Amino acid sequence: MKARFYAGAAALALCAGMAQADGHQPFAVGEGDFNWDSYTAFADKYDLSGQSVEITGPWTGNEKEKVDIAFSYFTSATGASVNYSGSDSFEQDIVISARSGSAPNLAVFPQPGLAADMASQGLLTPLADGSADWVRDNYAAGQSWVDLGTYADADGADQMYGIFYRVDVKSLVWYSPEAFDEAGYDIPETMEDLKALTDQIVEEGGTPWCIGLGSGAATGWPATDWVEEMMLRTQSPEDYDAWVANELKFNDPKVIAAIEEFGAFARNDAYVDGGASAVANTDFRDSPTGLFSIPPKCYMHRQASFIPAFFPEGTAVGDDVDFFYFPAYAEKDLGKPVLGAGTVVAITNPSEATNAFVEFLKTPIAHELWMAQGGFLTAHAGVNADLYADPSLKAQGEILLNATTFRFDASDLMPGEIGAGAFWTGMVDYTTGVSAEEVAKGIQDRWDTIQ
Amino acid sequence: MSPLLQGIVTVIVGVGGCVGYFFLSNLILDKVIFPPRADNPGQNINRANLVRPWLFLFPAMAALGLYLVYPVVGSFWRSLYNRSGDEFIGFGNYSVMFSDTGFQTALFNNFLWVLVVPASATFFGLLVAQLTDRMKWGNIAKSLIFMPMAISFVGASLIWKFVYANNADIGLINAIRDMFGASEPLDVLQLRFWNNFFLMFILVWIQTGFAMVILSAALRGIPEETIEAAIIDGANPFQVFFKIKVPQIMGTIVVVWTTITILVLKVFDIVYTMTGGNFGTEILPSYMMSYMFRDDGRATAVAFVIMIIVLPVMIWNIRQARAEMR
Repeated sequence: MKARFYAGAAALALCAGMAQADGHQPFAVGEGDFNWDSYTAFADKYDLSGQSVEITGPWTGNEKEKVDIAFSYFTSATGASVNYSGSDSFEQDIVISARSGSAPNLAVFPQPGLAADMASQGLLTPLADGSADWVRDNYAAGQSWVDLGTYADADGADQMYGIFYRVDVKSLVWYSPEAFDEAGYDIPETMEDLKALTDQIVEEGGTPWCIGLGSGAATGWPATDWVEEMMLRTQSPEDYDAWVANELKFNDPKVIAAIEEFGAFARNDAYVDGGASAVANTDFRDSPTGLFSIPPKCYMHRQASFIPAFFPEGTAVGDDVDFFYFPAYAEKDLGKPVLGAGTVVAITNPSEATNAFVEFLKTPIAHELWMAQGGFLTAHAGVNADLYADPSLKAQGEILLNATTFRFDASDLMPGEIGAGAFWTGMVDYTTGVSAEEVAKGIQDRWDTIQ
Repeated sequence: MSPLLQGIVTVIVGVGGCVGYFFLSNLILDKVIFPPRADNPGQNINRANLVRPWLFLFPAMAALGLYLVYPVVGSFWRSLYNRSGDEFIGFGNYSVMFSDTGFQTALFNNFLWVLVVPASATFFGLLVAQLTDRMKWGNIAKSLIFMPMAISFVGASLIWKFVYANNADIGLINAIRDMFGASEPLDVLQLRFWNNFFLMFILVWIQTGFAMVILSAALRGIPEETIEAAIIDGANPFQVFFKIKVPQIMGTIVVVWTTITILVLKVFDIVYTMTGGNFGTEILPSYMMSYMFRDDGRATAVAFVIMIIVLPVMIWNIRQARAEMR
């Protein structure tokens, strides 16, 4: 009876896979400056007709459309269908599906911390041998990406589980060049300038910032980025690393000071569009729209490189909106720290087609196909940088290269329970009026229960 | 295999399997194990009749044991272990939990939910059932009120998210405040303590229809003579309603009330969708969710506490429902 069910389910999945037509493919094979050689070499190597790869990840809406296009080339190269489904509550969904034995073949983790959790529970399959060497040789700053994709397995032995597909630069402030020109504001070069500009905008009757923390069940995460930026701009990178590892306690005065640095912006009614009370519940996807209204509801919005995906239809990055580097304090002498993140692909349910898909992600073309559609940065050194959809993405790539310090999003590295739980809700509590000490202590208490 | 075919095959296999089991097991009992032959056929028939009820009860008992009893015992056992399940810590999870402020908030909020939602839904349901009973367009009104029942909790939450939106152009509440000249929009989901009631209202909105339908049927079942006698004795409509009708359908009211209470203790999707448990709106099931798959010891401990709270309500519910049947 049970076996019959499984057979039926498998047959069903196959039918569904076949029924799914390939989306239209905007880039013709062999045309443009794409690395089509890597595509044909890959296509010649694999024939997987009739097989399918199930992938789940955090990309939804506009981003899912781009993913589907990029992944459709895997189908045309190998004959295996790819079913990508995105979820806003990916963090919960993947754990539930893996525990219940209904995991997809591949999962795209926005948080290495969560991937590490799952690896230690034996829910992930290591990548093929030699993957670590490959990443080290082919990714810019390769070793850091190897480290970020290497976790301890159930027996405590380090294995390479994840390959990064898509990197985000977080240390960006988005603004409307037109609004800046009209008001006569200059791009701030230092944090001191940025704070002065913020006060100046308020004096002139404007609202400087748009901040939104809403994100369904993940509400609060944008605030963790703010705190991380402030950590990097007020403390040494070593302190930052110690904080990630909890050697520097969460309720250490250094961390509390960083939280309050964020509060200086977010908890000030005059600084934020809609007042401080709007921060916690405004959806992060709706938050930047204030930049585009006339007169502007706000002048600046600190958010990672993916945010143009959520700008109003027809917004041209570079004309209607641009960005500058979220500056560091001139007096603190901490260089130009850059905060970043990325999505890491790991195998949750191995199969022949799944392994082939991981190999596909190693080809330059897999990255270029999304680069050309916009909203995508990569650390893959083999890609043609001219393929970035617009000059601003290229510029973000440069910010990545010019960083004196590059650090990965701390909340993504912390244990899932903290980085995708207590830290989020703690920041929501903080923005709604709870003191930084109390919030930090609550998060540290939760961390203590893990150790 | 197409999904349709698969569905048909599943139904045939399932139904056929059940019929086959009862038929065949009965046959084996009568013909093979205790055949009415041999030296004392009468005793064999009696023996077979002793075994038969157990034979027929077995599938239900097995399913209940496997899917109900075993998980309950297993969960309790699991809640006595640490987060990764490899160290016995007795009631450590429970003692840590009860001193946790998050748990206390969730418990308090859940208490509010249990107090407010079933009572309001039952009250509104009874009100509507009584008022629409003899109206011409009563059935249309009933249909409208019953409709939210068809919406899933998440769907309803999304609808109400728009009603509560912190923006006078979208949110109904803020639009009304705007009309009366409020300068700033108000985010009702962030009003600590009061936001719980805004979330509860969603469930009341969904459940009123359920209460209305059941109570409406109960009201119709009241013997006319009792009401006529009361009216002849000079009772006013209020007296008729409260002194004649309500006492007669009290049993049904209790069943409706307890059924909604049990539902309230299970609902986490409204909180999860609307606030994600932020702004002090955590209730026990959503609190459990925040530990699930991270600290299973704690999560199962919360689950067990929920079960302990549900148990008396459930027993009362079943008893009342049985009394109604008689």
